Amino acid sequence: MIRNFLRATWLILRKDIQVWLRQPANIAATIVPPLVLLFVQALGAQAVGRSPVALVVEDTGTQGAQIAQAIRNANVFRLSEVDAAQAQAQLKNLDVVAIVTIPADFSANLQAHQPAPVDVTVNNLNLDLTNDIRRAVPDAITQYYQAQGDASPIKVTMNESNLRKRDIELFQYAVLPTIVLLLIISGLISGGLATAREWESATIKELLLSPAPGSAVIAGKVLAGFVTSFLLGVLVLIVTALLGWIYPEGIYWLSTLLIVALVALMGSSLGVAIGAAFRRIQPVIGLSIMLAFYLFFLSGGISVLAFEPAWLQSIAAFVPLTYGNHALQMAVFYNSADLLGRDVLVLALFSLLTLFLGSQAIRRQSRY
Amino acid sequence: MLHDIGYQLRVVWACAKKDLRAAMTDRLFTVISLFVPVNVLILMSLFVLAGSYAPTAVVMEEQGSYAQAFYQTMGQANSFRLQKASAAEAEQLITAGQIVAIVTIPADFDAKVQQNQPVQVGVKINNLNTDFTNDIRRAIPLSITSFYAKAFPNLVSVTVQEHDLYVHDTGYIPYLGVSILVIALMMGGLIQSGTASAKEWENQTMKELLLSPASRWAIMLGKMLGAFLLGLGSTIIVMLVLIFIVGVSPDYWGELIGFTLLSLLIFNTVGTLLGTLIKMRQPVIALSMGTALPLFFLSGAFAPISFNTPALQVIAKIFPVYYQIVVFQHAFHGFALNTYSLGTNTLILAGYALVLILLVTVALQRATVSH
Repeated sequence: MIRNFLRATWLILRKDIQVWLRQPANIAATIVPPLVLLFVQALGAQAVGRSPVALVVEDTGTQGAQIAQAIRNANVFRLSEVDAAQAQAQLKNLDVVAIVTIPADFSANLQAHQPAPVDVTVNNLNLDLTNDIRRAVPDAITQYYQAQGDASPIKVTMNESNLRKRDIELFQYAVLPTIVLLLIISGLISGGLATAREWESATIKELLLSPAPGSAVIAGKVLAGFVTSFLLGVLVLIVTALLGWIYPEGIYWLSTLLIVALVALMGSSLGVAIGAAFRRIQPVIGLSIMLAFYLFFLSGGISVLAFEPAWLQSIAAFVPLTYGNHALQMAVFYNSADLLGRDVLVLALFSLLTLFLGSQAIRRQSRY
Repeated sequence: MLHDIGYQLRVVWACAKKDLRAAMTDRLFTVISLFVPVNVLILMSLFVLAGSYAPTAVVMEEQGSYAQAFYQTMGQANSFRLQKASAAEAEQLITAGQIVAIVTIPADFDAKVQQNQPVQVGVKINNLNTDFTNDIRRAIPLSITSFYAKAFPNLVSVTVQEHDLYVHDTGYIPYLGVSILVIALMMGGLIQSGTASAKEWENQTMKELLLSPASRWAIMLGKMLGAFLLGLGSTIIVMLVLIFIVGVSPDYWGELIGFTLLSLLIFNTVGTLLGTLIKMRQPVIALSMGTALPLFFLSGAFAPISFNTPALQVIAKIFPVYYQIVVFQHAFHGFALNTYSLGTNTLILAGYALVLILLVTVALQRATVSH
């Protein structure tokens, strides 16, 4: 009985993987977009949070030189130091987002204890960009005052402590949700198509009439989707680790692989359920990708969940990928097993639930 | 001659009508594809919600006037979503991931400020990633300097005098919503035309079409027309949501209609090309949806592409999406996002459309031979 089950499962698994391997275009279409996304984000990483700004120093006094130096040292801009005319041309040509001008009377005003404004002309196209400048220039001014030490009139300073031991770059942070997106899309599509194809080509009839138990059909299809998705996920994981974008160490490689496996299993089970429920390739692909997008975005996908409004965080709590992302972040970036038990439990339970739904869908459809 | 033109037009219309009817037989997929752009608009907008303000708890150990003034200044920094909390509550919130920073104003804040003594404001940050974390790291000094500039204008005389290029600030949602619209139109257009084209190859009905006396270009135009009409449906839905629900109205309606039609033509042509080359629905749909995110990040969705790194600028200019974002931002907000004139950008897009149509024709001819 068990031998029969295992043999049937193995044969279906092997057949579905062979079909998958015969479609390199499908494999490429699944894996290339997430890799390109990571590549694009890595290319743009240098520009994140550091806007291009033209610095015009018209003042020749000591204080003018000091504030200019503070702006250079602030590391909040990509600076080009030019004269006023060149700066205007750069602003017009959209080479810079703002012009920071230290006026000619800056030092004189300071020495006379008069207001000494720094002129900032900003291309206020959108608030995100504009607010970056609005934050960065005062940041540089604060650093100017801090450089004066005890003589600084600003006595309030910031005592920063960080919750996590290392800062993560934006593009590195995006690696894990992208891997999770790849896993879920691959699982959904592999599982969904392997199942829907049986109906569309009417081969399901043969499968169901064969002595293979129904549970073996489901297990074989889920495992085929799982194996292909897991392999793709591990491949991307290894590539990004070799590039130095992620750094799991020691035992945390195991928890990383466990989460990758659980997400792949969840995607594959859900795919089989959708494939059995809808039985046609085209709607299954469309639904699977749309569902994957919803799960990805609602679990924090391209943003940071902690920055989102409370209502969105509440929704994310019901999205299983949220737990996959969390567990991977902990393992990969912080070498931590914080809440790993909870994350594994949620993913495992959801995988079981989708497995149950898949088997129910196949049983229900096989009656017709 | 006239008879021939009439015949070809009949072929075009017949192919379009056939594809529209085929779409009606696969209602589930048609409904999904009609609502793809709206879904993309909704989902990508979540990014905007997270990007604006950092949820922050302020622990007020001091209730004096300077502490209150500092709290108010933080609220005006355009950076925080503030809530007051006790130290224990704040710790609980940051551990649960509901806030990203705790700012503690110490008990001796007022006294120290009044006596011109050093005092430290505690800032605990959930440093998840540098982009979001740096916003907080910069917003606190901004608040401190602004607080001093207001409370002690004679002490802190270095201030910022800001001049804006535009009279009004444009919010992040109205700005990014337009860029998202372009990506949404792209996904809708590619899926409609790509699947219609690939399906003919997958079901081998393309053989019959190509063996018929109808000309290749008429078949291609007919298929693109069918996808175009379906794409119009999804475009109208997403436009209605953007304009009437999100509240982003265009400055120039004529431009909006013109650029939408031109964009649909381009995306339909790309979709038809993909379908003709790949000949299978699954990779066509996966590519149509999968390319959305990379192109979104690549094509200057967040700001003019010239503010990005040189490598990205070069790559972005290869794709029509970059120029489409430029012209749509002009249609909605009147912005000029590159140094080309609006006419030049439009000509570039028209050039893309022509080249793509040529490519589809060539692909169809070559596919005929190899099939």
